[in-house]
Amino acid sequence: MTIRALTQVSTGRNGVGAFVLQCKKLEFHYCDWAGSSKGMNIFIKTLLPKFAAEHPQIEFNVSPRPAKHPLVTGHYINGHQKPICVRNLEPTAILQKVKLLRDASGEKLKRVHKPVTSINPSVRGVWSPYHGNGMAV
Amino acid sequence: MKRLRVDRWTGQLLVARSSQRGCCLAAGGALRSARSDQHYIPVRSQSTAVSYPFSEATETSFATTLQVPQDPSELPSPIPERALHSAKLASLHARLSLPKKLPIQTLARTLVDASADENPQFNNINLAFVGQTVINYHVSEYLMIRYPRLPMEIVWASMRGFAGIAPLFQIARSWGVESASVPGGEVDPGLLQFTTEKPGVSLTKFGYRRTEAMYLEKYKWRRGISNRVVFDDDFGESVDVTPGSEQTAHEAEMRKKERKEDEDEEENEYSMRRYGDDETRSLAEKAHAHFVRAVVGAVYMHCGRDTAHNFIKAHILSRTLGLSSLFSFKKPTMELALLCDREDFDPPVARLLSETGRQSRTPVFVVGIFSGKDKLGEAAGPSLDHARLKAAMNALKAWYLYSPGEHIRVPSEMLADGAKKWDPAYIDIGEIISR
Repeated sequence: MTIRALTQVSTGRNGVGAFVLQCKKLEFHYCDWAGSSKGMNIFIKTLLPKFAAEHPQIEFNVSPRPAKHPLVTGHYINGHQKPICVRNLEPTAILQKVKLLRDASGEKLKRVHKPVTSINPSVRGVWSPYHGNGMAV
Repeated sequence: MKRLRVDRWTGQLLVARSSQRGCCLAAGGALRSARSDQHYIPVRSQSTAVSYPFSEATETSFATTLQVPQDPSELPSPIPERALHSAKLASLHARLSLPKKLPIQTLARTLVDASADENPQFNNINLAFVGQTVINYHVSEYLMIRYPRLPMEIVWASMRGFAGIAPLFQIARSWGVESASVPGGEVDPGLLQFTTEKPGVSLTKFGYRRTEAMYLEKYKWRRGISNRVVFDDDFGESVDVTPGSEQTAHEAEMRKKERKEDEDEEENEYSMRRYGDDETRSLAEKAHAHFVRAVVGAVYMHCGRDTAHNFIKAHILSRTLGLSSLFSFKKPTMELALLCDREDFDPPVARLLSETGRQSRTPVFVVGIFSGKDKLGEAAGPSLDHARLKAAMNALKAWYLYSPGEHIRVPSEMLADGAKKWDPAYIDIGEIISR
């Protein structure tokens, strides 16, 4: 009998070939009246244009949200969103939050227990009791 | 004379020829003749140069062709000028690190599926065809050079795994491409526009239709490997147009008419709209796959062969596919014996290397298959037969998955200027054809 083939789809490895930034959109909501939005308003006027120019792969959306706290929301390629309320923050602190959103993937935050995460099997091989010299008892 | 605005021309590289523009205008006229209250026919052109019916460059006709239609929702897809103002499109262009040579209007065109806009000058069908050819070429040469002994079925399965509809759909999603709910002229040009209402136009595939195609379908005759190499497409699938597979728009309409006659119900456009079943899912996946192919086609057309090859290596060939998990054997011990006979090896002998727990409920037998003094394959199993079969499969996989190396030169590298002398690639005699 000739060999039959099973169906399988290849798995992407972001960064091995091309790197695609996972943050695809950042939404900025500000308010002209609320005092908590003072830092945000200054951020939008002074720091945001340079940041947006440095990141052409992110879609930036700035819109007013009257009588609400200022908000930054990151939209990610896996469909998830991360909103961060930036009430009463200074512009530099808001920039830190924005950089946090840019660097995140959309995944939920998980505790990593092991030092290495990989899809490749072990490099030196998994130990087997049936190979090698055995154990002297 | 009105000053020609050169800055409006810089983005529009693929200029339609005058005869095609005439067809475009005729189609546009026919589609929009129902609206009599408009004082002019809105014209879409791919370039700001004068259209065919207005061949005399007069001021009024020039001004008319530059006017944007009053109601963009009249058009099936957004006009190319709107591509310059879409944030989604600009971000997609930068996210893929596309070269500046690729205009944003072409990227907007790659997002328009044939089911959204039938006009081939404004949809991605032609770019998708070019892209499909380029992708299939580079993926197949990568597989054949890197795994020269791969059986034909496995080659086709790996082609499907790297360059088929399913992985291309995943690639499109990984690029952050969203789709419009309903296509139209008013949607954001950065959204993928397609509809699952009608199948649209299918891509031309390289292959031949067999004369006995009807009988093959009806009596489920077997298609042999050599036969499929000659007749079928790059993925080993037949290029016949059968109900349920990729169909032309004409056939889909015929089928719809038959269904109408059968059901004999009032046709309400929105009541019987299908949503969320297997066929709509497959149409959506196909639209995403055509988009990826169209992007590759656009890169090839604007930036050249080497850039397209690098793009494919970065986005498609960088993905991982475990080829050893694609194999499915029927009689591995017989195949291995035939292989050893063909290659003039000593006949394969299975030997028990180690075992434990023979009388218990969880025995482990480690069996190695030897040809003379050389071990061809080894495996562990819960019974002697199981272990022997697995060892034979491992031996066959070790043979078929032979690779001359990871960084091996592919034939398309010789097309570049100043390429080094070509070392002959290893070409295998072929797989074992068992009786």
